Amino acid sequence: MMARKIVSTGRGGAGKSTFVALASKYLKPPTLLIDLDPDLSLADMLGLDFHKEGKRTVCEALYDVIEKRKSNISPTITTHDLMESLLWSDCLYEGKRIDLISLGTKLTEGCLCAPDELLRRTIPKLAKNYTNVVVDSPAGVEHLNRNIVSDINDLFVLCDPSDKSLKHIPRIKEIINQVGIRYGHFYLVANHECSEEAERYLQNTGETYLGKMEYDARLEQYNLEGKSLLELSEDSPACLSARRILTKAGYQIGS
Amino acid sequence: MGRVIVSTGRGGAGKSTLVALASKYLNSPKLLIDLDPDESLADMLGVDLNEKGKKTVSSALCDAIEQNKRVGRSGYNLLSDVLQPVLYRGAEFDLIALGTKFTVGCYCAPDAVLKDFIPSLVKDYDEVLVDSPAGLEHFNRKVVVDIDDLFVVLDPSEKSIKHIERVKDITRELKVGYNQLYLIGNYRFTEETEEYLRSAGEAYLGKIDYDPNVKRYNLEGRSLLELPGDSPAALSVKRILAKAGYRITDGNLASESSQKIAKSSPLRETGR
Repeated sequence: MMARKIVSTGRGGAGKSTFVALASKYLKPPTLLIDLDPDLSLADMLGLDFHKEGKRTVCEALYDVIEKRKSNISPTITTHDLMESLLWSDCLYEGKRIDLISLGTKLTEGCLCAPDELLRRTIPKLAKNYTNVVVDSPAGVEHLNRNIVSDINDLFVLCDPSDKSLKHIPRIKEIINQVGIRYGHFYLVANHECSEEAERYLQNTGETYLGKMEYDARLEQYNLEGKSLLELSEDSPACLSARRILTKAGYQIGS
Repeated sequence: MGRVIVSTGRGGAGKSTLVALASKYLNSPKLLIDLDPDESLADMLGVDLNEKGKKTVSSALCDAIEQNKRVGRSGYNLLSDVLQPVLYRGAEFDLIALGTKFTVGCYCAPDAVLKDFIPSLVKDYDEVLVDSPAGLEHFNRKVVVDIDDLFVVLDPSEKSIKHIERVKDITRELKVGYNQLYLIGNYRFTEETEEYLRSAGEAYLGKIDYDPNVKRYNLEGRSLLELPGDSPAALSVKRILAKAGYRITDGNLASESSQKIAKSSPLRETGR
């Protein structure tokens, strides 16, 4: 089995994590979610307390390994191999329908290339065990420069109503092409702030526009209180939007 | 020695809007730095860097590397190869944008260029405003290590409240110094949800009021500096800065006085 690889991307606050959290309800299980944002939030949005579940973030595990390595003079296993096994045993939260890996916050100096690279190399292996692998990206474009998922089936670009979002679209296409990321589909999704006028802008970009995530007062409330979005009722505007968008992209919606 | 102001926050909270509007009221000469590779600050200020013959740090660095390959040189002169092509000098403010790169790899190299330059640049300005990309990685890179005022811009969500703790953890662990950490709410806060910020245990400066013009200008890609004088967003920023103890220059007066500087100082040639 080779999973379909789905990546959400977009400018900050466009609704990437909301879309991923809600889409996870409708994808055919088993699904693996990967939260690439160091300012981690996907677990919260799914009502998961990573630490209570006895799991660690990738950054936490990696930091530990590096600290221990300092005192271990003759390691018999490479850091990468050790980390890869820890990724499966310590970082992979296994739920009923959905599994989750979180990159986590790094509290030491330097960029996130090391944990990102670890995931880049491990995702193809992890993918064999799932129907869908959904990657929730951090805001911005750097994750694309890092080529973390080089073989994407569906790329969902979440857009807020701004000229910045419209400029973001050709910008990421150029990065993707130059860096050599392959993708099957490039989809645009509008967030709840988009008016009909803003939607028209998105329809006229020449890309496949799938529709918008409708405003949902309860979703705002849940985000404020830190409640799981999986508890939103099926007929809530946000859930219905996610369903409609996935259907339009040709997904078979699981019940 | 200029005051160093850094805006940070989760994506979409309103960091760039705050920086763009704050630039109206701060003392000149001032330098704005856009650290977001998904650049937008220049657009929000109505500056077309390309048209002004300026490059971004990422593209200047790429060009310098390509040039080196052609002539078989190694290393480059940061000042002439990178800084001069990227520093836009305007009448109201100067501006540097990190910019997008189209090669594989992270943004450590262009960030490191700015990290090296910022301490010397700070000396030439009264105010240096740094607009960060969404998230936390810029702290890990320690691009700006000596901050006077850190403005954390927030949206109404539990994630935002957790974000405040993360910012404090990461700055403490990495020894990113700041004098003052301020919280600012974005327009989506209500009277009721503002309570979360008042009780967060940090200095809360108030919220940026809803302004339909900001939405419209952002959609049309118009400069936020053209907002009418009574714009609720601009007035909020003015109030917020005053509350933080900034000596506010009126938007219009500021531009006149900085134009005088522009004429008198050899440092500041205007535009192109």
